[in-house]
Amino acid sequence: MNKPTILLVDDEERILRSLQMLFFTGYNVRITTDAHEAIRILRDEQVHVIVSDQRMPIMQGSELLRVARETSPATMRILLTGYSDMEASIASVNEGEVFRYLLKPWNAVDVKEVVAQAAAIATSTFATQQSPIAAVIETDKQKLRILVMDNDQSTASAVEEILQHRAEVIWSQNEQHAMDILAKQDVSLVVADLTMDGKSVSYILKTVKQFNPQTQIIVLTSFNDTSRLVELINQAQIIRYLPKPIRNNILARNLEFVIERFHALGNTPALQNRQSVEAIKDPQEKQLSGSFMSMLNRLRSRSSLTQN
Amino acid sequence: MLNDSNALGGIAALIKPIECISPEITLESVAELFSDIAYSNVLSLPVVENGVPVGVISRYRFIDVYLKKYSRELNGKRPIRLFMSSPPLVVAHDKPLAEAAQYVASNMSFPLTEDFIITENGQYVGIGFVVDLLTAMELQMRQNTDDLNQAYSHLKSSQLALVQSEKMASLGQMVAGIAHEINTPLGYVQNNVVVGQDMFNQVGVMIAGYEKLIDNLLDENVDEEKISAQMQQVAALRANSSLVEMLQAMQGLFADTIYGVGEISELVLNLKDFSRMDTMATETVNVNECIESALNIGRNVLKKYGVEVIRDLGDLPGITCSPSQLNQVFLNLFTNAAQAMEGNGRLTIKTWHANRGIQISIADTGKGIASEHLARIFDPFFTTKPVGEGTGLGLAISHQIIQKHGGDISVESHPGSGTRFHIHLPVASSAIKPDQLLSETPHPSQHEETV
Repeated sequence: MNKPTILLVDDEERILRSLQMLFFTGYNVRITTDAHEAIRILRDEQVHVIVSDQRMPIMQGSELLRVARETSPATMRILLTGYSDMEASIASVNEGEVFRYLLKPWNAVDVKEVVAQAAAIATSTFATQQSPIAAVIETDKQKLRILVMDNDQSTASAVEEILQHRAEVIWSQNEQHAMDILAKQDVSLVVADLTMDGKSVSYILKTVKQFNPQTQIIVLTSFNDTSRLVELINQAQIIRYLPKPIRNNILARNLEFVIERFHALGNTPALQNRQSVEAIKDPQEKQLSGSFMSMLNRLRSRSSLTQN
Repeated sequence: MLNDSNALGGIAALIKPIECISPEITLESVAELFSDIAYSNVLSLPVVENGVPVGVISRYRFIDVYLKKYSRELNGKRPIRLFMSSPPLVVAHDKPLAEAAQYVASNMSFPLTEDFIITENGQYVGIGFVVDLLTAMELQMRQNTDDLNQAYSHLKSSQLALVQSEKMASLGQMVAGIAHEINTPLGYVQNNVVVGQDMFNQVGVMIAGYEKLIDNLLDENVDEEKISAQMQQVAALRANSSLVEMLQAMQGLFADTIYGVGEISELVLNLKDFSRMDTMATETVNVNECIESALNIGRNVLKKYGVEVIRDLGDLPGITCSPSQLNQVFLNLFTNAAQAMEGNGRLTIKTWHANRGIQISIADTGKGIASEHLARIFDPFFTTKPVGEGTGLGLAISHQIIQKHGGDISVESHPGSGTRFHIHLPVASSAIKPDQLLSETPHPSQHEETV
C-alpha cells in the first residue's frame, strides 16, 4: 500500500527536519520553507495532509491554506503555529477552513494522532472520487432548517430576510430552547453567538457537531478570545467566525456559501468525516456536553423510530 | 475651592442673638448693661434703630468715655448715639465664610474691641464674634487642606498606577516576544527528543534480535533450523526499517537540538541581562551592550514589522548608569520606531564618543511625527495611538530616565521620511548619584529635576 503524503511548511528548517523524522516511518514526507514551492507540490502531487506554520515571510499560513483549498480541495489542512493572534485565527477558519489549529510547542504524540486521522480522512476522500466542494444537483438538496441562537432577534430576522422561503428559520433566545429544538430534529445550519444570557453556549455547538457532522456552524459574535476560537475550530469545526456587528451582504454571502457546503457534504460519511471534531477537554464543558448528548441520543433515537 | 455647602459655610452659624439697644438709650443704662451677666462675654453692644444697625458701642470705648472725670454726671443722661462708633461693621447672614472673614479682617479695628453685626435683609439678627469667625475659618482651611491632601494622594497613586501599567504594557509585549522566540526552538527540541526516544526503542529491538542470533550461533546445542529462523527474523527487521538512514538523520537532529538548546539559553541570558535592575541599580556599563540587549529583546517586534537594523556602534568608555533603565529607554525607542515603519523600514543606530559624552542616534525611516505633535511627544500622557493602546508615558519616562542620568534626549522628524532621536549621556560619572537612579519609578509629572 502506498504511504499517504504529507506536506510540511515552516520557515524554520529545524522544525521541518524534526517533524520529518517524526513522520518518517508512516508517510511520504515533503518539506519546504517556501510557500510557492508548497503550492507547486499541491498542484503536481497528491497530498493528503498539509501542515503549515502561520507566520512566514512570503505568505501567511492561512493564505497558503486558502490557496490549498482551491488547488487541492481533498487535502486536509492543519495549521501549526506559535502565535495565537485573533486575526490569524479568524483567517484560518474563514479562509483556510482548517481541520485543526495546533499550537507550538506541540505534543508529538497528539500531532501524530491528528495527522494520522487527517491522512485517513483524505485517503477516503480521494477514494470517493468526489470533490468535497462540488455542488450537488438541485434535486438532491435537502430541506434547510436553520437554528439561530442569539439573545438579539435581529440576527434571526436578518437570516430570515436573506433566505426568504428557502429555509425554515428557528430563533432561540435561550440555551434551553435551543437544546429542545436540537433534540427534536436535525438542523442544517446553526448560526450562534457564543454567549446567551451571559452564559457560554459553546458546548451546545460542540455537541451538535459531534452528534451530526453534517450540521454546519457559523459563529456570529463580538467575543474576542483566541483560545476559545481555537477550541471551537478543533472541537466544533465551525465553518465561519464572523465578527458582530455584521453587514447583511456579508452575512448573505457567507450563508450562501455554507449552505452550498452543507449540500456538498450531503449524506456521504467520507466527506462528513472531513469535519470530524476533537474531544472536548474542558471538564465543565465536557459534563454539560455529556448530558446534552445523552438527551440527544435518547430523544432522537425514539423520534427516528417513530419516523420510520 | 471652598466648600460652602456645609454648616461651616455661611456665617449664620455664628449668630449670637444678643438683644440690641436703641441709639436713644442713655450712657448710664449702657453701664448697667455692661455689668449684666447676660452681656458678660460681648466686646460691644449693637445699636439698632428701626431694626437697622446704626453703630456699636464697645466696652473699651465705653470705659474710655465713662471713666473720665465728671463724665458720669455730664454724660450719664445723654444718649449712646453720641458715643457709639458708626457705621458699624455689618455682614449679611448668608455671606460665605471666607468672604465674611476677608471683609471683617480688613475692616476691623486694632486692638480688637468690637464684635461685628449680622443682618438678614438689612435687619439686625445678632452679633458675631471675630474669634468665632477665625476659628470657623481655620476649621474650614483645615478641611480644605485635608481635601487637597486626599486629592493629591489620589492623583499620586493613579499616576503610580499609570507608570506601572506602562511598565506592564512594555513588559507584556516583551514577554510575548520572548515566549515566541523560545517557542520555536522548544518545539523542535522537544520533538527531537521524542523522535530520538522512539528510535532508541527501535534500535533496542534490533540489537536484541542480533544478540539472540549471536547467542544461537555460539551455542553448539542449537540446531540449524532455529538459527535460520532467527536469521530470517533479523533480516525481516532489517528490511522493515531504514535504520542506517534514520540514524544518520538523527545525527542532524542532535545537532539541531544542541543548537536549539543554545538558542534558548541565549534568550534566557538576554532576559537576565535586560533585567539587571533587580540586582544592581548602577554600575559601569558600555552603552553599546545596552543597545544590543534591547535589540535582542525587541528582535521579535522588529522582525514582525520587517525592520532592517543597521548598527554603527563606536568605541565607548564605560559610564555609571542603571543599565536596566537605559535598556528600557532603548527598547521603547526601538518599538516606537518599528511601529512607525509599516513594513520594510530601516533602523539606524549610531553611537560615538564626543564632547566628553556618549552620543547615541536612533533614526528610523518611518512615517515621522507631525510638527504640531513634535513639541509634545515627551509630555506625559501624550499619545497619538488609539485609546487603550498606549499610555502616553513611554517617552515621558524615557525622558525622565535620561535626565536622571544627567543627559538629554532630543528629536527631529520629517513627516513622511522618518524620525531621529538623539541622546547625549555624560561620561563624568560623578555627576550622577547612584541613589538617585535607584529611586523607584521616575515621575512623569516632574520634568525639571533639580539636583
